[in-house]
Amino acid sequence: MTERIFHELVDAFPKLLLPAIKVTIPLTLLSFSIGLLIALTTALVQVAKIPVLRKAARFYVWIIRCTPMIVQLFVVYFGLPSIGIRLASFPAAVLVFSISVGAYCSETIRAAIESVSSGQMDAAYCSGFTFSQAMFHIIIPQACSTAFPPLSNSLIGLVKDTSLAYSVALVEILASAQRIAARTYDYFWLYLEAAVVYLIICSFLTVLQRRGEKALEARR
Amino acid sequence: MSMLELSHVKKSFKENPVIRDISISVEQGDVVAVLGPSGSGKTTLLRCAGYLSQADGGTVTLDGETFDLHRISKRDVVRYRRKIGFVFQSFNLFGNKTALQNVTAGLTIARKMDKKEAERIGLEALEKVGLLDRKDYYPSKLSGGQQQRVAIARAIAPNPRVIFFDEPTSALDPELTEEVLNVMKKLAEDGITMIVVTHEIEFARRVANRVILVEDGVIVEENDADTFFIHPRQKRTIDFLRRTKWKPEGELLSDEGVI
Repeated sequence: MTERIFHELVDAFPKLLLPAIKVTIPLTLLSFSIGLLIALTTALVQVAKIPVLRKAARFYVWIIRCTPMIVQLFVVYFGLPSIGIRLASFPAAVLVFSISVGAYCSETIRAAIESVSSGQMDAAYCSGFTFSQAMFHIIIPQACSTAFPPLSNSLIGLVKDTSLAYSVALVEILASAQRIAARTYDYFWLYLEAAVVYLIICSFLTVLQRRGEKALEARR
Repeated sequence: MSMLELSHVKKSFKENPVIRDISISVEQGDVVAVLGPSGSGKTTLLRCAGYLSQADGGTVTLDGETFDLHRISKRDVVRYRRKIGFVFQSFNLFGNKTALQNVTAGLTIARKMDKKEAERIGLEALEKVGLLDRKDYYPSKLSGGQQQRVAIARAIAPNPRVIFFDEPTSALDPELTEEVLNVMKKLAEDGITMIVVTHEIEFARRVANRVILVEDGVIVEENDADTFFIHPRQKRTIDFLRRTKWKPEGELLSDEGVI
């Protein structure tokens, strides 16, 4: 690494951190929150065995998990305008990522709920609980500690997947690195620097996961 | 009229009949022990009576109100279950709640009782089972016997009409069994109506006032406890008591005098 490149990378760092803070992190948090709500609903519909919705939930999970996310992004951002639905880059990305998180995490949540012993449900029923009281007060709180590590996985995965939004003209970390490199031709170093920014964010989340697991452990 | 009546309960798993046709009626204050070899259908009977397993047919009548054991509305099943208590073989304490919260959850969450009032009742119930000092412990920090006693406190707290016990001591070693049986004996003395599926012959002899022997999904013999143990009427009862190696205090006699 020459001194010139070193200075360039130091200059570039805030220019990569800014889109991380302004785009990547909000995009991740927003998509993940909406995705979790979708996931919980999708999982509950299946656990509660609600006739038609249950089939719909299976169908949704099937479609989303079996098509590439970048294709979904293209369909929403480049495809939908042809039927009159125009979404800007950011909302298009939020839409696709939420739906994707919803599908994957619904399986995590469903498995976690089903891993709670059926005796817990029996006991809740015999304590006079309705199905939803049992779910929200007894089953889901216990499913949380099982679901937490794989859900953290999905969150960390999503941070990195947001780089796909580069393809729908969203100026996030990768696009910013690409723009800077286009002027200086130091692609190698700038893409490495972009990787470091992702690494920093995900390392932070990894630490949070450890703490979260410990906190959940202490509650039982 | 009996307080609780199970009539013509039937249940098969696939083609396998587990309960062929069982009717039981229970009076207020009765302690009914249900005995029988493993696989005789006694646990299934209790689970059907608590709507935890769907019976193929039969009804349950509680305080004059009859419910179909095969089909019931969501409202009715919740209403019915709020009048019964259930104690499980594997305790099934709520893992995310402390001992006291386990006891009060049915009051505050299900029955929307005032928190203070629920806590008072909960502490009283824990005191009855001798676990007041463990009120803030999570189930994972309690011994099996303590867990089962908390489960009993949870069952009695809402003051149910009847409590079903499904092999409450089968998962416990002899020492812990003793402490649980003592608590149950105290409940019996308090006049709480109980149906107890058990392998504890000793307990059935000492505490139950009525004993039912179930085999192959039917009732073999139903009698008051003294008659059941001292003068059983059925040859199969005698065989059963022999197999359990129970030492009768009197001589085993049947009506016909066959031994």
